[in-house]
Amino acid sequence: MLAVDVKNIKKTFKTKQDTVEAVKDVSFEVKKGEIFGLLGPNGAGKSTTILMLTTLLQITGGQAKILDLDVTKDDKLVREKIGVALQDTGIDNLLTGRELFFTTARLWGFSKKDSETRTNELLELVGLTEAADRRVKTYSGGMKRRLDLGLSLVNSPEVLFLDEPTTGLDPGSRRVLWDEIKRLRDSGVTIILTTQYLEEADELADRIAIIDEGLVVAEGTSDELKASIGGDVITLSFNSEKEVTLAKELFPESLQEKNELRITVEDGASKIPSYINELTENKIDVSSVTASKPTLDDVFLNVTGYRLEGTAEEVSQSSSDKKEN
Amino acid sequence: MKTNISFLTQLQILTKRLVLRVVRRPLAELPNIFISAFFLFVYDGALGGVFGGSAQGTPFDFANGNFVNFILPVSIVSASVSGGASGIYLVEDIESGVFKRYQSMPISKWAIILAPMIVGAMRVLLQAGLIMVIGKIIGADPAVGTIGYFIVLSIAFLWGMGFAGYSVAAGVRSGSSQGAQAASFLFFPALFLAPTFVPREALRGWLATASAYNPTTYVIEAMRAIMVEGWINDMIFKGFIAAGSFAALTLTFAVLSARKATEKA
Repeated sequence: MLAVDVKNIKKTFKTKQDTVEAVKDVSFEVKKGEIFGLLGPNGAGKSTTILMLTTLLQITGGQAKILDLDVTKDDKLVREKIGVALQDTGIDNLLTGRELFFTTARLWGFSKKDSETRTNELLELVGLTEAADRRVKTYSGGMKRRLDLGLSLVNSPEVLFLDEPTTGLDPGSRRVLWDEIKRLRDSGVTIILTTQYLEEADELADRIAIIDEGLVVAEGTSDELKASIGGDVITLSFNSEKEVTLAKELFPESLQEKNELRITVEDGASKIPSYINELTENKIDVSSVTASKPTLDDVFLNVTGYRLEGTAEEVSQSSSDKKEN
Repeated sequence: MKTNISFLTQLQILTKRLVLRVVRRPLAELPNIFISAFFLFVYDGALGGVFGGSAQGTPFDFANGNFVNFILPVSIVSASVSGGASGIYLVEDIESGVFKRYQSMPISKWAIILAPMIVGAMRVLLQAGLIMVIGKIIGADPAVGTIGYFIVLSIAFLWGMGFAGYSVAAGVRSGSSQGAQAASFLFFPALFLAPTFVPREALRGWLATASAYNPTTYVIEAMRAIMVEGWINDMIFKGFIAAGSFAALTLTFAVLSARKATEKA
């Protein structure tokens, strides 16, 4: 049995002015005990997908099942089996960490005694025992995220949804949270997380779906996605826009980004001399050349036409062209 | 995991959490209490000399010689209004994402909506109780005896629930703290288009007409019957009916608004 089975789900928001298709067509499957990453930029439809799967938004079309339960028809049963930590942390700042865990445990049906036990377990799990009796408003961003993660675990969920769990955190706090997420996966929890960080998807996710403009544009393990590019990535850097434009005319199959051209070829290192020769013959100065294995960044660029982190500048070749390559 | 707690237990847990929030923000709560008590002193100080003991035997003797008895209901009604402004709790939860967290759990959405109303009503009881204690200290003495305080408190509770329902509905509909606070403008017409400072017979023209349609009028008159005149049952009954109907109406409004707000988009 799959932990999550999503088939062609859609979400359309209708306003007085127009209709917005936040999620156009998203399908994926998640096996039990897997970390599945939904990778995409802001506005790609990741959070809307999570809201639909966690029963907080009505699905406009398609079907989604969590542990074989229909998200639309069996929403109450689904809620009993999942844990949710949304992007905007729903934390009461006036209460202490201990009070929040205790209240949440009581709402999940634990007795007072069991709620105390569960509170202590979770405080320890997320490393907040020392800060347990302080009001949450005094917590750092990283502590609040860990608290949020802990609160989503009170009911020992079989499937955990984490919507951008590390957004806004410093690298140290991000690493701590990653370790906790991996530990949860190792204990058998299925995790679906959204992220806009390539590094995070690469580090955590067993499989990744890249979402762009409400569509899944690529899916697989990190290695599969990288392999799908088909070879090594040669990066040619130039000193001026004029030179990069001339070089682009020489290598039309390349992807241009600012003053760089990226060419995907088999056995990249051996091809570098021929590229250099061709540039030299055409009197185009190249400032540096590198050959590397593709990264998720390259995959993202390849399937969407722009980079995820930093500027989202469109590269010269349209994404549809690239998908055909 | 399956939740196995009853609706009432959920309500109790959610209410307790809101009470903790109220207690931890005393500065946000104290002004309401002090303002109502302050007005009691001001009304008594400014008008008690004219309409109090010295008015006995004159046409202005509508307080039966004890102006504190006459004006105490106004302070209580005013406290009920401000105390019932509980929509803000719900809006804060919506804004902070706590509301969504609860929605993602298998707990009753009605418990989520009712908890702030109960806290609002508890605030009303506390504020009205404090004002009665102050009133007693400065000379209030219900015409029906000590039991009068409890009857007045019951009417105040219903009236406060009415405003709590209105406030929650306004909060849910606006979805913002400002919206919930702005909705409290109703307080002014409710309080002042009524026989606030003089009996209804002394009001003239449009104000007399408006006050006849304002449920606050009947609430104040019922409290005044208890405090000033004695067991005038039809007035007391009308007060309970007015406060109860207002509460029922606004609670329905709140429930309908909440249903709309908690519907999946």
